[in-house]
Amino acid sequence: MLFHTWTFFIFFIVTIVGFWALRPTRFWLHWILLASAVFYGWWHPYYLLLVFYSTALDYFIVDWMERGPRLAKPGWRLSASVVVLVGAVVVGLMAPGGWGGLAAAVGFFAVVLAVGHWLRSRRAWLWISIINNLSVLVFFKYAGFAIENLNTLLARLGAGQLPSAESLMPPGWEYVLPVGISFYTFQSMSYTIDFYRGIIAREPSFVRFAAFVTFFPQLVAGPIERAKNLLPQFAKIPRVTLADVSDGASLFLVGLFKKVALANYLGPYVDRVYGDVATQGGAALALATFAFGWQIYFDFSGYTDMARGAARCMGFRLMLNFRNPYLAVSLADFWSRWHISLSTWFRDYVYIPLGGSRVGSIKLWRNLLITFVVSGLWHGAAWTFLIWGMLHGLGLIANRGLEQVAWWRDRCPRLAKRLAVFAFVCFAWVFFRAESLGQAVEILQRIFTTGWADPQMPLLLLLLVVSVWVYQFVYESPLRGWLEKPVVKVGLAVAMILWMLLFAPAGGEPFIYFQF
Amino acid sequence: MTHETKPTPDDSAAVQLSARQWLCALGLSLGFAWLLPEAWTAFESLAPVPHYRVPYELSNDYWLYERWLDQLPPDAIPVVGDSVVWGEYTAHDGTLSRFLGDATGKPFANAGINGLYPLALWGLVEHHGGALANRRVLLHCNLLWMSDPEADMQLAKEQVFNHPALVPQFTPRIPCYRVDTDTRLGRALERRLEPLSWVRHLQQTYFGQKPAPEWTLADDGKFPPTYPNTYRLPVGVPLSAELPSAKRGLASERHKAWSANQSGQVNMEWVTPESSLQWQAFRRLAKRLQGRGSDLLVVVGPLNEHMMNDATREKYLGFRITVAAWLSAEGIRVVVPEALPSDEFADASHPLTQGYERLAKRLAAAPVFQSWLGQ
Repeated sequence: MLFHTWTFFIFFIVTIVGFWALRPTRFWLHWILLASAVFYGWWHPYYLLLVFYSTALDYFIVDWMERGPRLAKPGWRLSASVVVLVGAVVVGLMAPGGWGGLAAAVGFFAVVLAVGHWLRSRRAWLWISIINNLSVLVFFKYAGFAIENLNTLLARLGAGQLPSAESLMPPGWEYVLPVGISFYTFQSMSYTIDFYRGIIAREPSFVRFAAFVTFFPQLVAGPIERAKNLLPQFAKIPRVTLADVSDGASLFLVGLFKKVALANYLGPYVDRVYGDVATQGGAALALATFAFGWQIYFDFSGYTDMARGAARCMGFRLMLNFRNPYLAVSLADFWSRWHISLSTWFRDYVYIPLGGSRVGSIKLWRNLLITFVVSGLWHGAAWTFLIWGMLHGLGLIANRGLEQVAWWRDRCPRLAKRLAVFAFVCFAWVFFRAESLGQAVEILQRIFTTGWADPQMPLLLLLLVVSVWVYQFVYESPLRGWLEKPVVKVGLAVAMILWMLLFAPAGGEPFIYFQF
Repeated sequence: MTHETKPTPDDSAAVQLSARQWLCALGLSLGFAWLLPEAWTAFESLAPVPHYRVPYELSNDYWLYERWLDQLPPDAIPVVGDSVVWGEYTAHDGTLSRFLGDATGKPFANAGINGLYPLALWGLVEHHGGALANRRVLLHCNLLWMSDPEADMQLAKEQVFNHPALVPQFTPRIPCYRVDTDTRLGRALERRLEPLSWVRHLQQTYFGQKPAPEWTLADDGKFPPTYPNTYRLPVGVPLSAELPSAKRGLASERHKAWSANQSGQVNMEWVTPESSLQWQAFRRLAKRLQGRGSDLLVVVGPLNEHMMNDATREKYLGFRITVAAWLSAEGIRVVVPEALPSDEFADASHPLTQGYERLAKRLAAAPVFQSWLGQ
């Protein structure tokens, strides 16, 4: 179910009415859980199995974790556990009739739980949670890519081939990436890790925990919420004020406009140019890359605005996820404005555990590179995402060096810095958007080597994007007060509503980030 | 991953309205949405030529259809129906309504739309035919839509058809209509809200039947493609008269008797009246018009019996009797004209220009028709 569809509109009205009716009772939380299940199951009921698995596993693991000692040295038992685990998977894979994949998964699950109870330490349970969550993610998201690359390697070595990921699915089941799996898996994992670190207490109610993991506004594309922010909001009946409803509606309107009027307009132009790279001139490819930068921003930030707006209408506050990222004056600044819930997740659970910034230069560079390569791979199993992450890691290292140069730091105009950051981010987007590494290289080559040819980008489209950019510049300038005048805000809202009424295309294009 | 700038307030969207501002914004938006279509009629002129019909290119422009009906003089008699009324093979001045006018001296108006069928005709009249209330209406019943399960839209296999926005979206269920709930909801809303119909009119008339942004990106359909609208302002399709077409009219290659293209008779399966979706829709349509106070006369057929084999003709005649009986039982005047000569049909149901002329004369001579006209 997509936010910008009539189906969601009706679903949301029913959900809100039920929520209001049940608020005086203790069943309001059950209602949210039910609504979330309907919302997610609308895509494919089988997705519910996976999200329920992730939820139940982390709920019970934290329960067992609480009862275990903080740290017990596993010694030989760890090695024995790994052997049994591998054995269970191998035996499972040998099951006949196409049931090998499922048998291996069940075997893996059973052994891993048995190992947890055998080792009985908090650390063991933490690793079991991480391994379990990542196993599901890896299977659905990375198995195809990994097996394809391994088979290429094995073929070169003259060895046998591994079975495809599709063949590991039970007969009659399709191998598809469940929508939003990367988002809810990370959200659920953060609960386990934060409990282990002593940041949060165990959530005793399964319903409340399940509502936290599956809360429908942010279930499929974030923001990736932290338990310490969202779980306490489910602990008491939310107080909904008129301001919450009007703020929520404002956020939803802006998000809807970003998606329907802007992202969905930019998308076909980008697809046209990137779909036929060989015949495009440099100007078209450069403009399409610029357009893609804005398309993905409007698409993703539009989604999170709508998610936050829907949640706010029910009295819940989800975290900010985007803050005018194309006004960033450095790459570090960019990452504090772009997909904030993910970048802070990686900061807290990857970058800081690696040592963060409080280490020597070489280790700092290593930490940045590892964090951004992992962040790139989070988006999908492809070399292009890996290179995209690596470019950002390298860019951050270079940016830190640049900040040591007095001229850049003190005298270079902010506008120039902003444009430089935007240009770099667009350069990296080429790898993110391209179908393959070869295509990305070809695009870059053509941008710089082919002569002028009319890019045929509609003027209306360019005008819209530039208007938004100018709006953001003004918003972060001393003139911002002008934008906050009631007459300007009402005028902008009316303009957005009428634009969507008059010009929005029919049909609900899916969000780009659903594929991640 | 350091934060270098001060976080701006909680929301990325500066357009954060208070409840009062929301009321203003919604009021203004609704006001504009409802006033714009009205204001637009002053800006965009519609001065129909004699024997006007809604141009083929604008067949999906139901807002224009409604506007055309609204401006008919009170004594005009709309002839409502599908492409048989509209005149698939003829020029705009070679249709049934034109010849009825000639034969009776009354102002008949072509209120047909190309590509309709009873299930869609019901939607057209229900949502865009308010002007048909409390006036004389001639309704044409084309039985060809009941001649086989596919035309009757009974088959479960998905079918792409004209005017999907006009058919019932939820009930009664049309087995071959397979679109998602969201599309159905959108279509159901569009025909109920005038601003949305008007937006469709703008798309049909000025933006090549597309939303404006899509129009700016559209290619010319050639290879390699070019994009003619990238830097262009929209140019409207004429509303008040048809563009010259080589596909219709006496000089057209298509304007010839059916027997020139094919020989031999065909077999038609025919559905039963009880199971026919199209016949049920037609009945609802007739009752709706009757309920709105229209003084209704239904003309059934005629179909081209010359191209039917004996078994098919027998079923057709049986169906026709059922239709006429039901209409009479409901107190609706009905005329069932006999088949036209073979060389006056272009296909199974569409007459040629001379066929329309003959049909009009036959209708004008029918006592039921004359009593209906008050002659």
